[in-house]
Parts: sequence; structure tokens; C-alpha cells
Amino acid sequence: MHILLLSWEYPPKRLGNIADHVSTLAHELVRRGHEIELVVLDDLKQGFEDVSGVHVHRVANPVKTHPMASILSYAVTASLQMEVKSSDIIYFYKEQKKSIDLVHAHEWLAIYPTIVLKHAFHIPFVLTLHSIEGHRCHDHFNATSLAIKEIEDMGIWESNSVIANTDWLRKEILRYYGEGHNQKIEVVWPIGVNWVDKVISVYNKTAR
Amino acid sequence: MRMRVLHLSWEFPPRIIGGIASHVFDLSRALARRSLEVQVMTCNFPGAKKFESIDGVNVNRFEAYATGDSFLGWALRMQKNMEISSSDLISGSGGFDIIHAHDWLSGVAGLGLKQLYRRPLITTMHSTEYGRRAGIHNDLQESIHEIEGWIAHESWRVITCSYYMRSHVAWCYHMPENKISVIPNGVDITKFSFSFNYWEVRNRFAHESETILLFVGRLVPEKGLDTLIDSLPIILARGANVKLVVVGEGPQKEMYQRMANDEGLHEKVFFAGHIDDWTLRALYRVADVTVVPSKFEPFGIVALEAMAAHCPLVTTTTGGLNEIVDDGGTGLKVPPNDPNALAGAILRVMRDVGFKNYIVENAYQKCIWNYNWDKIAEWTNGVYDAVLNEYAKGAWKTPS
Repeated sequence: MHILLLSWEYPPKRLGNIADHVSTLAHELVRRGHEIELVVLDDLKQGFEDVSGVHVHRVANPVKTHPMASILSYAVTASLQMEVKSSDIIYFYKEQKKSIDLVHAHEWLAIYPTIVLKHAFHIPFVLTLHSIEGHRCHDHFNATSLAIKEIEDMGIWESNSVIANTDWLRKEILRYYGEGHNQKIEVVWPIGVNWVDKVISVYNKTAR
Repeated sequence: MRMRVLHLSWEFPPRIIGGIASHVFDLSRALARRSLEVQVMTCNFPGAKKFESIDGVNVNRFEAYATGDSFLGWALRMQKNMEISSSDLISGSGGFDIIHAHDWLSGVAGLGLKQLYRRPLITTMHSTEYGRRAGIHNDLQESIHEIEGWIAHESWRVITCSYYMRSHVAWCYHMPENKISVIPNGVDITKFSFSFNYWEVRNRFAHESETILLFVGRLVPEKGLDTLIDSLPIILARGANVKLVVVGEGPQKEMYQRMANDEGLHEKVFFAGHIDDWTLRALYRVADVTVVPSKFEPFGIVALEAMAAHCPLVTTTTGGLNEIVDDGGTGLKVPPNDPNALAGAILRVMRDVGFKNYIVENAYQKCIWNYNWDKIAEWTNGVYDAVLNEYAKGAWKTPS
């Protein structure tokens, strides 16, 4: 399968666990014969790199100044640049008569470009939520966290499948965003080596 | 085949916030009269239809609601909704030749759509963050300024409404001037010819013996109402019995009211606030002089409205006004911040009836020839043709 991964961290940029999670996923997928395009936000390192078979496309936010109180300003502009890079990649392969089969987004920051790519190119998408905004803000929702919650909600609605890391998180997603999403959420506990095979089974279920 | 254009705008009647709504309303209909296929994508509004056809223009309204941490946060999230809805429209309608955005409040969506569909983006920069605030003073503004620069950079061509704005935009975003086309705003003169009761309207604003000086604009510092208030004692001292009618609201209103009172002019200045469109057009027709004392003005639509209503015009030499008004030909111009010069020009127009009739007729003719929407649509169409010609020659396209 030809898969486009979107993440806001990938080594050497590490903000939390997602960098290593996405790195393991990408490299294990390549080892199993899949083709991986990884678009990652990295304001300190830009451009293309082939990291042992993984095609890493690093982009930086063209908008460099943001008001202290607005994470949305950074998030929407940065993810727009991820979207621009993604559509360039899609066209690059279209010219070679190849296509992208699936988009896999990690965390809320990758949600907007993924939704837009789905609408524009009709590519199905998988969304992995490593955590949710209700937990991060301890249910003290201010305007910023409400906005992020809305974006997560949109992502869950628009995605073809959602991956949660634990069964507890699956239940929490249902509690926050509605029991109706029950059918689309899969639990993949990202420990050991075989978890990547479970992700692939989600891909197989999702891709046309 | 008919050229297909998608206009993106955050405001469109009945949702009216600034000047972009009526600009897009008039321009899109004039383009449709030229047989272009025009779609408008705009924010929803209570009572307005999700889809409607207005004089051949297909208007699509999307859900603009989004929680934001600031106006900027909302404006960006709103544009993601705009982009997604446009994307569905494009998928459903077979695509567009040109995407035309208006200001940064739709340019972000335009930028995304340009890349997703590999179609040229044209952006009209009606104003700039730098100009609106006379500089960049904080991070919020810097962020908007950078977003505007990104949009300008990604646009195949930028359109400004005056040569003044072309230089300003080129300087602001480090752009070559030859990437910017100048197309003025327009005015619909037919809206200003209707019969009405002259004295009924006039008596609502001034005593019968008073000469009406009209100011129309938001009450913000860059509009220069202070200069006009300062010129009133000079005009009154020359024996002219005038009444200044101020139409518009704004944060400086109390300051200007206090200023008028301090100068003993409380009977000579009438703050009329917001008035409806019909009354405003009638007021232009009963007023004796329209004064535009601006210190910063990208275009100056008030000047066009006065010209269309046969009201003589005194303006400053600021920004777009300098291009609209030919000094001594279609009005009189004075430097900004100069109450003495302003008073002199107003008195001259008031007292020399022959001169007044001369500039009023010239100004009206200029509206017909330079500022009519069919001309503006023709020029805009010319920009579309030039861009599509370039596009056809290039390699940046969707693979067949």
C-alpha cells in the first residue's frame, strides 16, 4: 500500500512520544513492503530525506510570529503548509500514474489537512488519537481547548477509522464524542512488534 | 467554453461587515453579465439561503461557526470550513478556471484550494494590516501581516484598487509592482437617481438656512474628522452658515463630540450615527459639499458616492483619493491635517456656483467612464485572461 503519514513530530524533532511512535510505524511498514510518505512539521529542518526507505518530507510554518495566546493561529497555518506539501506529493505520484491509497493522521494538528485531502482527492483516512483535549485540559475548557475539541470531533466524524492506544482511551473517546462512533474505533496497543500488523489490518479494512 | 470563476469572500449581502460585501456583490454580478460562470462561497447568515442565484451569480453559504481563541483563530478555522465546502463544490461542479479571493479573510482558503486543484489564485488586497493600524505594533498584527504576505506570494496576480495601494502592497510584502494590477472600485449611478421629497430629507438634518457639509465614514483616527471640525470655526468666521452632518459610528465618536462642544460648535455638528442606504443616498443629494478629510485611505468609496449623487467634493490628497479627484476638475484637494486649506476649499465650492456645477458634472462623467462595474468587470476579465494564458503555457497543472 502507498500511505501518506501526517504528524507534527518525527525525529530529530521530539516533543513527546509521537515522534518515536510514528518512526517505528513508518519503518516497520517499509520493512513489510509498503511505500511510506511522511509529512512532518519541523521548523528547524526542512526538505526531503530518505530515511532507510521512508520518504520524509519536512515542512516549516511560513508564518513565523503568532500571538502568545493563540495556538490556533500556529496550528492552522502550519497544517496548511502540511496540506500544500501533501497535495504536491499526491500530484508527483499522479504524474507517474501512481496513487496514494490512504492517509494516516496523528493527533489533532494533522486533522485539518487530512479532512481537506479526503474532500479534494477522495482518499480515505485513519486517525490515531494518542490523547484527547478533555484530558489535556482536565475538563477546564477555555476557548482554545474548546476549539481543539471541535477539531478532534470533526476529525472523528470525517475519518474512516480511528485508532486508540488503549481500550480506556477508546471508551473515553466514545464518552466525549458519542457512542455512535463505536464501529469505527479500533484499539491498537503500541507495545512490542506485532502492533504494526494490527495497524495494517485497520488499513486493509479502511482502504478501498 | 465559459470561463468559470470561484469568488471567496467572508462577507456577502445580507452579511455586511465592511466594504468587501458590496464590492463582491457588484463585481460578481457584472462578471456574470459578461457571461462568465461565477460562483461565490461566503459565510452563512441568519435568514440567508444556503444556495441562491442572484442575477446569474450562484451564491453558496457555508457554516462559518467555529470556536476561536481570538478573531484570528476564528478567522482561520472559518476558512478551513470555507475550503472544505469549496472543495465539495469543485468536486460536484467539475472545477474552476480561476480562484479569486478577497483579503486575508478568504485568501488562506484560496491558497489551499490553489494547491489542491492546481488552479491560479488571484487575490484582491482591499487593505493591509499595516495600513489599517498605521504600522505593526504587536504579535497578533505581525501574524496577520505574515499571513497576508504568504497569500500575496502565492497569488498569481494581486489586484489593488489604487496605484497608491499598489506601491503600498509591493513595499509591505516585498513584491514586484508588475505582479499587481490596479482596478478601481465602482459605483452604481442608477442607485442615486430616484425622486424624493427634497425638503423632507433636508429638514431632518439641518435648518433651512444652513449649508450642509457631509462627512461619511467610520469614526476612527485615520478618517480625519478632527481636521474637519477644526476647519468649522474658520468657515463660520467668514460668515458662512454651515451644518456638519456626520454619518457613521466608531470608537472615536465621544472624542469628536467633546471636541465639537469644546469649540462651541454643538449646534453646528450633527452626529447622525448609522443611517439606512436610501437615506444616505438622498442625503448625498441634498448635501452642499461632501468632505473626505482622510489621513489614510486605500481607495475612498465615499468620494465615488458623492460624485454619483452630483454632490461637490472636497478631499485630501491621501491615498486613493488623490487618484479619484482631479484638483479643480472633479473636485478640490487639500493636504491632510490642514484645517485652513480645508476651510478655503469648502468656501470656494460653496460660493462659486459656476465652478461647483463644472466639477459636479465632470465628476459624474468620470463615474460613468471610470467607475462603472461593467468597465471594472471588463478589466478584471482581462486579468483572468492574462493569468490563464500564462497558466496554459506552464507545466504546473493537474496531470491528465
